[in-house]
Amino acid sequence: MAAYTLKRCLGAVNVIHKCGNHRFIARRCLLSTSYTDTKLWDAREKDHQNLALLASLMDRTYDRNFPVSSLSISRFVDNISSREEVDQAEYYLYKFRHSPNCWYLRDWTVHSWVRQCLRYGARDKALHTLKNKVQYGMFPDDFTFNILIDSFIKDEDFKGACSVVEEVMLQESFDLPTTQILSLYALSNYLATKPELSMSEERALGASLLISGLKQDGSIGLSAQLLGCALLGKVEMGAGIHAVFRGMPLMWTPGYVGRALAVMERVAAAPGDDKLSKDAVDYLEGLLQDLSSASDSSSGEDDESGVEEGKKEEEVDEDDQAERDKLPLYASRFKVLSGQLQSRGKVDPSPLQVLVSILVQQSLASAEGPDMEQYQRKVGEWEAERQQLIRREKEMRERAEEERRAHQAAKAAAKQG
Amino acid sequence: MVKKKRIRLIAEMARKIRVYRELKNRPRESEKYALDYDTMTRPHTRKTLPVLAWQDVRRESRLFSLLSGLRMFGVGHLFTRKSWLTEHPEAPSYWQVTKVKVDYTAENMDHGRAWGVLTYKGKQESEAKEMDKVMYHDWRLVPKHEEEQFKLYNPVPEPPIRYVSYPPLLRAMLLAQRQKDELESAAEEPTLPLKRDVLLSKEYFRSQEKKRERQEGTAV
Repeated sequence: MAAYTLKRCLGAVNVIHKCGNHRFIARRCLLSTSYTDTKLWDAREKDHQNLALLASLMDRTYDRNFPVSSLSISRFVDNISSREEVDQAEYYLYKFRHSPNCWYLRDWTVHSWVRQCLRYGARDKALHTLKNKVQYGMFPDDFTFNILIDSFIKDEDFKGACSVVEEVMLQESFDLPTTQILSLYALSNYLATKPELSMSEERALGASLLISGLKQDGSIGLSAQLLGCALLGKVEMGAGIHAVFRGMPLMWTPGYVGRALAVMERVAAAPGDDKLSKDAVDYLEGLLQDLSSASDSSSGEDDESGVEEGKKEEEVDEDDQAERDKLPLYASRFKVLSGQLQSRGKVDPSPLQVLVSILVQQSLASAEGPDMEQYQRKVGEWEAERQQLIRREKEMRERAEEERRAHQAAKAAAKQG
Repeated sequence: MVKKKRIRLIAEMARKIRVYRELKNRPRESEKYALDYDTMTRPHTRKTLPVLAWQDVRRESRLFSLLSGLRMFGVGHLFTRKSWLTEHPEAPSYWQVTKVKVDYTAENMDHGRAWGVLTYKGKQESEAKEMDKVMYHDWRLVPKHEEEQFKLYNPVPEPPIRYVSYPPLLRAMLLAQRQKDELESAAEEPTLPLKRDVLLSKEYFRSQEKKRERQEGTAV
């Protein structure tokens, strides 16, 4: 609520200052309306097809074990006109992914699927297909990711937005500055609600923060890196390094808490203006205290349950044990570094959320421009490719017709003669 | 005088049909390499995996488990193997994927074949080859933000190869052969390199045979 009122005040201030600028009137959504509107997408040439006919054609092709072309599935997705048809399209996407042509699922089909889901209010469907991207082959490009995250942020569903950011992290597609800003916004808002995190959620959040923070320079990027490393360090101490990097694009060398401390050291030593958010530093402090107290209590109980502990320790890896032994070292080094940061004034007292909101207002508008141009170019390319596919299909059909006619004529002539 | 051989058309047809059916019903990669994780046996061959591999099978993942979750099946990404990391940690070895043929009958698109360019111990090869040991539970993805640092390698310069003279009888035979072929008689002495500079492989032997054939002509 505080964040909402803060944004309202800032939004009102901006309306007064920049009267002609309509961007900040829609306060809750971040991307401008020109970014998210569907005018350019709807201006494409329509290819009206009857969905029932297409569906029966695809079923027949699958039954006869022939490959279904990417054009048919893209036509199906383009011509969705109601919520039930969204479910049918999901089924056909699944079938296409499990056919020999799964490689050829086009980018524009994925984009169009996400747009249709958002239009017919099937956002949870889009999220479901995105989460099971292996089964549905759903790999959207950066622009589509941005639209999806924005629609989640618009409805204040930060948990859903964080799931989408997790998918972006798994594809490592934080190239566009818009994606970085949007994902940091979603992550910081989600963490501000102080949710209960399971280990896999912590792992995902930590990895997303780390990878998006690496791309972003400045205090926000460094704070995000610090927080991400701290979360991953917590998972590492709890479950071992293998639990951290399995299935994630993360480095397998152990020592994520050490990396967090290295970030702090870098900020303390750097001459520039970068600061670390107090949130992140406090979180790392709390984490180290928790872990030290947990290890103290477990070593206290060791004498009682010695036999059971012995069996469990065989499963704990040597590397993980070495990590845990370094814990007091980390704690002492953290005290030294946080003292240094405080003395040099490099700790920013405002929470991460506020920092990200400031960043949003400063840079999002300017970052949108090149994105829009690239999107227009891409839509042009997709259109050209689609027209070429349609032409090729027509030619092949004509050629098959001619051959059939020639064959029939030859048979009739043979019968007569 | 052999009796004229009877042409058995139906047997020919049956043979062709059998070959066709074998091709159609061949076991896909997903069937061949499926694994039961509780008993560590492959249902296709009913063989158990070696015990030392069990921990790896539980903890690591196959290459295609990683590829199925990436855009365009991970073409262009770098993948290492955990056994390489433990074997020679200082020299980076990785595959860069160029082409993927996934087995679409697998439920999670978990199996298939892949081709790529290998860099073994820092030396990059020139051509893309088919990746072997794709189904081993050994693979790790190199994250994009760590790629540059992972590829860094300062190769230790190898000492030059030393040469040694041949044993006397063999040397005499070689010189006699040279004189017979009337090559440069005052040529340098034949020497033996102490480190084999040719990799003994099937391709090498085949090329040697072809060279010999070209010189001698095919056997009568």
